[in-house]
Amino acid sequence: MSLYAIKKEHRCIIENLPKIGLLKSLGLREGINVAIKSKQPMGGPVIVQVGRRCVAIAQDIAKDIQVREVN
Amino acid sequence: MDCHNKSPEVQVGKDTLKFLLMGNPNVGKSVVFSKLTGVEVLAANYTGTTVGYTKGKIRNLKKEGILIDVPGTYGLEATSEAEEVAVSFVKEGADAIICVLDATNLERNLNFALQLKKFDIPMIFVLNLVDVAEQQGVIIDSEALAKELDAPVIPTVAVRNVGLRELITVMEKVGKRQKEVCYTAEKELVEEEETRWKEIGRIVEKVQTLVEREPSFTEKLGYVSMQPWPGIPLAILVLVLVLGFVVGGGKAIRGVLLLPFVYNVYEPAMTAFIGGFITEGTIFYNVLVGDYGVLIKIIEWPFALVLPYITLFYIALSILEDSGYLPRIGVLMDGALRKIGVQGGSIVPFIMGYGCAIPAILGSKAATTHKERVIVASLVSLAVPCTAQTAAFFVLLGDESIWMLVGVYGLSILAMIIGGSVLNRMLPGKVDPMLLEIPNLLKPDVKTVVQKIKIRVKHYLVEAQIPMALGILFAAIIAETGLIHGISDFLSPVVTGWLGLPGEAGLALMLGIVRRELAVLPLLDMNLTSLQIFTGATVALFYLPCLSVLAILIKEFKLKTGLAIAGTTLVAAFLIGGAINQTVRFISSIL
Ligand SMILES: Nc1nc2c(ncn2[C@@H]2O[C@H](COP(=O)(O)OP(=O)(O)OP(=O)(O)O)[C@@H](O)[C@H]2O)c(=O)[nH]1
Ligand SMILES: [Mg+2]
Repeated sequence: MSLYAIKKEHRCIIENLPKIGLLKSLGLREGINVAIKSKQPMGGPVIVQVGRRCVAIAQDIAKDIQVREVN
Repeated sequence: MDCHNKSPEVQVGKDTLKFLLMGNPNVGKSVVFSKLTGVEVLAANYTGTTVGYTKGKIRNLKKEGILIDVPGTYGLEATSEAEEVAVSFVKEGADAIICVLDATNLERNLNFALQLKKFDIPMIFVLNLVDVAEQQGVIIDSEALAKELDAPVIPTVAVRNVGLRELITVMEKVGKRQKEVCYTAEKELVEEEETRWKEIGRIVEKVQTLVEREPSFTEKLGYVSMQPWPGIPLAILVLVLVLGFVVGGGKAIRGVLLLPFVYNVYEPAMTAFIGGFITEGTIFYNVLVGDYGVLIKIIEWPFALVLPYITLFYIALSILEDSGYLPRIGVLMDGALRKIGVQGGSIVPFIMGYGCAIPAILGSKAATTHKERVIVASLVSLAVPCTAQTAAFFVLLGDESIWMLVGVYGLSILAMIIGGSVLNRMLPGKVDPMLLEIPNLLKPDVKTVVQKIKIRVKHYLVEAQIPMALGILFAAIIAETGLIHGISDFLSPVVTGWLGLPGEAGLALMLGIVRRELAVLPLLDMNLTSLQIFTGATVALFYLPCLSVLAILIKEFKLKTGLAIAGTTLVAAFLIGGAINQTVRFISSIL
């Protein structure tokens, strides 16, 4: 499923992500465990906690990130 | 690929040591830079504060050395104009790189550090923000980290000078390098990614200990402030508080303190003094202390009317910037802002634009596409009043009715929405989707904030006064010599016919070319009707950005785009101002 489909406060493991250099530099890569911290209305971004820091990811990108839910 | 192209020019003496200050965005590089060089650069708690570079001579170093504050970057593939600057600096080489690491986010910072190490330039690591890390329960063994990185690691709290002396001691040991740097294996970097992250995992495991801590108040606040509920009401509350502070505070200071001083003490004293030399009623006398007297206006306008608001606004802005709250507003607004062609992160240059358009336009360099940059710069130039102009509006409109003030700001927002949507459709290309790091919410450091407010107010006092003084002198001469009547006649089809303003208002239009607040202030003494005040304010709002902004626009976007932006604002000012005047008159004529 896509990262955008995960509910708030749920965790998931990233399985596949689009080739955007900045995504990797921000610490998002295959195999890591992230938590959804908030979802913004009006097609806004999701906020994902990666390690100790939060990153806002636009809907368009989040939909392209494939994840497996763990809980 | 030639690795020596596009390098910014850096003139360094033959024996001068060159240090680059590098690292991820928002790790405290600019704070370290200011402390080591004494050169004042602005620091703030969000990605992309530094977008160009600043050089400074290092104080307290026994040898001759310069330090370069480079924009933060996440990796070596540049994704914005600001990051390009950073990458070109490494490629040019240095005697040593001081790489600043954020102790609260070691993993991601090491990812950049390990990439930098490949350049084979001597490195010194600064492990900054250890105070915040400790609060969060993150303990890092800097000696173990130094062993792993095979380079010195100095733990610091840059804002409080902790560790900076140790840093200087280590910098003393750096020597002049002869070797040229040439690193072209960018492909290699990508292939190495897997192994690099493994390596990082291993290092972090070894040097970092996490202690379970109850989340602190600021951490909890940081979390709730990015939830739509209660984040959005909270943002509105913050906005109202800031406005109340600036509008209310400014009005109090100017009403109780400054204006009485100018009108009751300064003006009579000055008039008496000048009267002692020059006969009352002569042109020269009037130019100095008459209705538009230079010696009066030069104190009244910039100091008594504008300065209180500028100071209060920058107090609020500086606190907000250092708290890390602004990017959170960007996240909440992203959905709405995307419709006008900008990402949520660009809310920061917009907010800065309410201070002054110049840092806003420069700050837009952090945008990832040129299209977004142009949209931000255009909208700021068109519809965001700077603090000096805002102050003038408060005086002109606020004293008339608060609703007029609301009306003008409503118009400003409406113009941004329409202008943004049009530009978004008109300009080719698309705007990147948002991908933004949210900084820790921090309690701003008092000294740092005070320092920043000082820099900004000083900047207003130094930069603004000369154009302001010349503008006022020009106004005084035109008004007092009677030249104004000729000019009024010439401009009257537009000013009187279309805009419905008295002929003298042409003066505001002329002065408004120099500075934005000068498009408003001359209207104060003209006894205008409510409609005229509103029309005048609208014209001033959209009217040309000031001369310095025009210069920056041309410098950043080339002559054609710069003039196009300025031309559009001019047309918009007359069209919208006139439309309001004509409509209201038409409606009242049939009622
Ligand atoms: N508590 C604390 N705050 C710090 C420390 N160092 C820097 N800061 C704050 O962190 C924020 C970021 O500092 P900057 O110097 O602007 O960061 P930068 O690395 O230059 O950022 P960019 O220019 O965006 O790359 C500012 O608000 C500083 O006041 C520190 O050691 N402790
Ligand atoms: Mg900086």
